[in-house]
Amino acid sequence: MNAVIDRREFLKQTALATATAAAAGGAFSLPVLGGQEGASLKWNKAPCRFCGTGCHVMVGTENGRVVAIQGDQKADVNKGLLCVKGYHVGLALYGRDRLTTPMLRKDGRLVPISWDEAINTIAIRIAASPKTFALYGSGQWTVGEGFAGNKFMKAGLGSNQIDGNPRLCMSSAVTGFLSTFGVDEPPGVYDDLDACDVAIMWGNNMAEMHPVLFSRLVDRRSRGEKVTIIDFTTRRTRTSDLADHLLLFKPHGDLAIANGVAHLLIRNNSFDRAFVEKHCNFRQLGAKPDEKTPPDMLGVPMTFEEYARAVEPYTPEKVEELSGVPADKIRMLGEMFGRRDLKINSLWCMGMNQHTRGTAINCLVHGIHLLSGHFGKPGDAATSLTGQPSACGTVREVGTLCHLLPGGRLVANAEHRKEAEELWNVPEGRIAAKPGYHTIEMFKRFNTPTDQGGDITTLWVQVTNPSQTLPNLQRNFLEKKSLGDKFLIVSDVYPTATTELADLILPSAMWVEKNGMYGNSERRTQHWFKLVEPPGEARDDCWQLIAVSHKLLEMGVDGMKGRDGKWIFHTAEKSGREVPIWNWAHYYDVNVDERLFEEYRPFTTKKHKNLAPYQEYVKARGLRWPVVQQPDGSWRETRWRFSEFDDPFVAKGREFQFYHSVSKDDKALIWFRPHEFPPEMPDKDYPFWLCTGRVLEHWHSGSMTRRIPQLHRAVPRAYVEMNREDADRLGIRNSEVVTVKSRRGQIDLPVWIGGRGDPKSGEVFVPFFDETRLINLVTLDEYDPYSRQPDYKKCAVTIVRKG
Amino acid sequence: MKKRPNATAGGRLGGLIVLASGAAIALLGAGAAQTDSRTPASVAGMPIPRSSPAAPPPPPAMQPWLLNNPAPVVIPENRANPVAVADKFASRVKSIEQRAALRAFEGAPPTVPHPILDLNVQTCRACHASGLTAGDKTARMVSHTFLVNCTQCHVEATPDARDADMPGNSFVGLRASGYGGTRAWTGAPPVMPHTVFMRTNCVSCHGEHGYDGWRPDHLSRTNCMQCHVPAAEFEQLSPTFGVQDLPDGASGPPAAPALVE
Repeated sequence: MNAVIDRREFLKQTALATATAAAAGGAFSLPVLGGQEGASLKWNKAPCRFCGTGCHVMVGTENGRVVAIQGDQKADVNKGLLCVKGYHVGLALYGRDRLTTPMLRKDGRLVPISWDEAINTIAIRIAASPKTFALYGSGQWTVGEGFAGNKFMKAGLGSNQIDGNPRLCMSSAVTGFLSTFGVDEPPGVYDDLDACDVAIMWGNNMAEMHPVLFSRLVDRRSRGEKVTIIDFTTRRTRTSDLADHLLLFKPHGDLAIANGVAHLLIRNNSFDRAFVEKHCNFRQLGAKPDEKTPPDMLGVPMTFEEYARAVEPYTPEKVEELSGVPADKIRMLGEMFGRRDLKINSLWCMGMNQHTRGTAINCLVHGIHLLSGHFGKPGDAATSLTGQPSACGTVREVGTLCHLLPGGRLVANAEHRKEAEELWNVPEGRIAAKPGYHTIEMFKRFNTPTDQGGDITTLWVQVTNPSQTLPNLQRNFLEKKSLGDKFLIVSDVYPTATTELADLILPSAMWVEKNGMYGNSERRTQHWFKLVEPPGEARDDCWQLIAVSHKLLEMGVDGMKGRDGKWIFHTAEKSGREVPIWNWAHYYDVNVDERLFEEYRPFTTKKHKNLAPYQEYVKARGLRWPVVQQPDGSWRETRWRFSEFDDPFVAKGREFQFYHSVSKDDKALIWFRPHEFPPEMPDKDYPFWLCTGRVLEHWHSGSMTRRIPQLHRAVPRAYVEMNREDADRLGIRNSEVVTVKSRRGQIDLPVWIGGRGDPKSGEVFVPFFDETRLINLVTLDEYDPYSRQPDYKKCAVTIVRKG
Repeated sequence: MKKRPNATAGGRLGGLIVLASGAAIALLGAGAAQTDSRTPASVAGMPIPRSSPAAPPPPPAMQPWLLNNPAPVVIPENRANPVAVADKFASRVKSIEQRAALRAFEGAPPTVPHPILDLNVQTCRACHASGLTAGDKTARMVSHTFLVNCTQCHVEATPDARDADMPGNSFVGLRASGYGGTRAWTGAPPVMPHTVFMRTNCVSCHGEHGYDGWRPDHLSRTNCMQCHVPAAEFEQLSPTFGVQDLPDGASGPPAAPALVE
C-alpha cells in the first residue's frame, strides 16, 4: 500500500496527522539536533541513466525508494551540475505503468505468465532454430549485460546475429575513428572543453543534447575567459543563441565545408608541415591493388600532392555554392585552423553520424585537425559525443555488434576469433567467421516472410524501443504484425511501441534497481551498485540472458558448455561450490556484474583500452581508459591518447604515436572524401527537407521521460518546426495541425513557427520522442555504406494543410 | 476529523510538515500546552516577529537567545506569543507549499510557472537577477552564480492539465520540513537544513523577494555563513557505499605516465 501511495495523498494524510498532533499540543517548536529527519536518508553515487555525457548523480534513498537526486560534486564530468533530465532521473523508476510481470500473447491478448514459463518459451524458440534467432541490444545495456549477451550469442550459440541500437546512433563515429586512427573512440576528453579557445559545433545542438557539457564551455565566459563558439547548423537552435558565429548550411553541405578548410590550409601554406610529415599519411577511397576488392573504409594511399590537388576545387566560393555558408566565413575558419596559437575543439553528435556520408564527414573533420596540427594537446581535439550512456562502454568496447568481438576484435579475423575463444574458454571454431546482420538488415529480415528470405524468425530486444526509433518503420518493422511465424521478445520497463508488437514481454529492472557499469563519451568507465529493489517481478536483463542460457544447457542445446565441460556462465564461490545464478533467488548471492567485468578485462589490453580492476571503479567517479597501474600500485587514467605527455603506451621521444595505425607506421590518416549529394533531396512533389532529433527535456523515445511530470509538462507532444516565410506562403498558422508526408509515410503534427528552433526556409524539424506521433513512419532508411548508420536528418517531405 | 498522529507520517518527515495551515492556526490558537516528549529541548529560539498582531502576556525580561547561556530558564515561544508563532508557522506552511509545487523533491531545480517566450538569458535576468514582486507574483532572485543556459535545468511547467495522456508517476520526493534548521541548544544559530551548493545566494529565499516566514530579523547582516552552517548530510561529504573515494579529475598537468610490465 505504501509503495503506491501518491504524493498528493501522502501530503494530505501527513497534513491531517500533523494538524491533529498540533491539536493535541504537539511539536510546534524548532527541532534540535538529533531529530529524526533525514536519519534514514542515504546518499550514494551512480552515473545518470540518460545520455552519453556520463554525469554522476547522488541518489537519495529512503525506505527502499529513491526520494531525491543531486548533482555529484565530486564528479569531474559535471562538477555537481545536472540538466533537468538528470535532476529528475529518479522519477524514471516510478511511472505508474511499470511492467511487473512477464506476459505472453495468447490468442492475440497479452496474459501474465510465470518467469519459468517465459524462460522456457524463449529457450524452446531458440532451440528449435538457433541460427534464425537474433538479439538486439542497446547502448543502455550495462557493460555486464552486453558482455553476457555477446558471449551467449557468439561464444555460446556460435551466432553473430547480435547488433545494437548504437548502430543508429554512433557507428559513423566508430568508422571515422577506425579509418583515421585504426582504433575506435576519441583521443581527447572533456577537459578540452575547459582549455579550448574555439569550439566548433558540427551540426550539434549541444545546449539541448549535452547541456552539462555545453555549460562547462559557456560558463567559462562567466568566469571572464574567452571562448569562441562556432555553430555550424541547418537551423537556429538554443546553441546558436550563445554562439559567436551562426553559420547556417545546406543539409549535407558539411562535406564541402571541411574540404574548404583543407583547401585554405594548403593554399595559405598554413598547415602544420612538421606534424603532417612526422605523423600523418594521406588516404582516399579506391580499388585495392589486386583490383578485385571493392573500396573499403581503410582506403588506398595517396601522396600529399594528390591530396592537395583533390581539395584544390574547394575554394571558399565553391564551398559557399555547395554549402550556403558565406565564403568569408569559410576563410575565417581556414584562418583559425591555420593559427597555432589557438586551441580548437570540434564537437559533434548525430548531425555528422546520422548521415549517408557519415564515415566521410567524420574522417574529414579528423583530417583538418591533423592537417593543422590541432591534435593531442589540451584544448586541441576532435571529439564525438554519444547519445546513450554506454554506447561506448558496452557496445563499442564490449563489441556487441554483428561484426565485433570484445576489445576491438573482428569476427572476420581468424586470429581475433582464436583469442576470444581462448579467453572465453570455449572450443576452437565456436565463433562463426561470418558477421551477422547489421541493424537495418536484421529488422528487414525479421519483417519479411520467412519463405521469402526473412531468415530471422525470433528476435529478442532488450533496453531499446526499435518500433519507434528505426527509420522507415513500416518497411523495417511494422509488417511483423501480419507475419504469424515471427516471434518478438521484448525486455523493457514500460509499455512502448515495441512491446505493442511483442509476443512475449519480460519486465526488467532498471538503473539503480541493479548493479551496473556504463562507459561514457570520453572513455570513462563508471560503476554503481543496486540501491533499491525492482518493482513486482521485474528482474535484471542480465539475469534473463543467463537464465535462458541455463535452460538451453538443461535442454542439451549445443554451445552452452566451455572447453572444461562447464556451463559458459558457470559461477562458483571461493570454495568451489557453484552458485546457481540462473535461479533469481540466488542471483545476488555473488556480484555477477563484477564476475563478468573481471572476465571481460583481459580482452581490453589488445587495443590498449586497458581497464582497472572492478574494485577501483567502486571508489571512483569513473576512470578513463587506458587505465594503467603505476609503480606505487595505484591505477592511473589517461586523458590524451596518442600523446607522449599523457599516454603511457607512446614510446619515449615520439611526441605522438598512433600505435594502431592503419598504415602500420604509427601514423594517422588524413582522408580526402569528396562532397556528394544525399540520396533523397527535395523536389517538386516533396519540397521540404525533414530533419529529426531530440529536445532537451526528453530522452530518445521518451519511454522514461514522458512518465516524468516535470519533463512531460515542459514538452508534452511532438510538433513540426517551420520557417515563418514558408508558413506564410502556404497560409499555415502557428499551432495549426498539418500532415507531414514523405514517399514512405505520413503523420499529423501541430506547427510551431518561431519556436525553440528555427529552420531555414525549405526545411522542417520534428522531434522523435513522442510515441503518439511517430515521425519515423516518414524518415528514410538509406544508410552510410561503411557504418550502416541510417540518415535521420535528411529526407524529402511535403507539408499538407488539412481540411 | 480526529486522527492521532501515526507512525508513517511522523517517521517520514519527523512530524514536521504541516500543510493544513488554516487548521493549524485555529488549533494552535487554543494555546495547548507543550508536551512533546520526543524532542526534549524543543524550545523555540527563533526571534518573534515584531509585527505580531496581538500581544497577550509580555515576553520575559530575559532574552532567551543570549549566547553563552546554554540553559536559560525560558518561556517557550509558543506560550510567550502564540499568535506570532502561529502566523510565522502559517507563513512557513504556505511557503513550503509554494516551493514544493514547483519541485519534484527538495533540491530539484524549480520548474518555471510561466511560459518561456524568449530564451535570451537577459530576459530571465530582467526579473530574476535581483528579484521582483508584482501583485501576488514574485520572481525570486537567482539562488546561484549566474549561469547562462537557464533552460538546461529550469523548464516550463504550464499550469494547464497536460497530464491527461501521461501514465502518471508514483514518485514521492524528499520534502523539506520548512521548519528551519536544527539548533545545538536554545538560542544557538540554526544550522541550515539544506545544501548550499547552487544555493549560495541566501537572499534568494530569505531576502526581500524571498518567502514569508523565512526572512530573518537581521537582514542587514550579509555574512550569513558566519553563524549558519549547512547540514552535513546534504553535503556529499561521506564516502559512497562505505568506500573511501578516489579524487576525480586531475587538475593541472597530468603526472608523467609510467608503464609497469
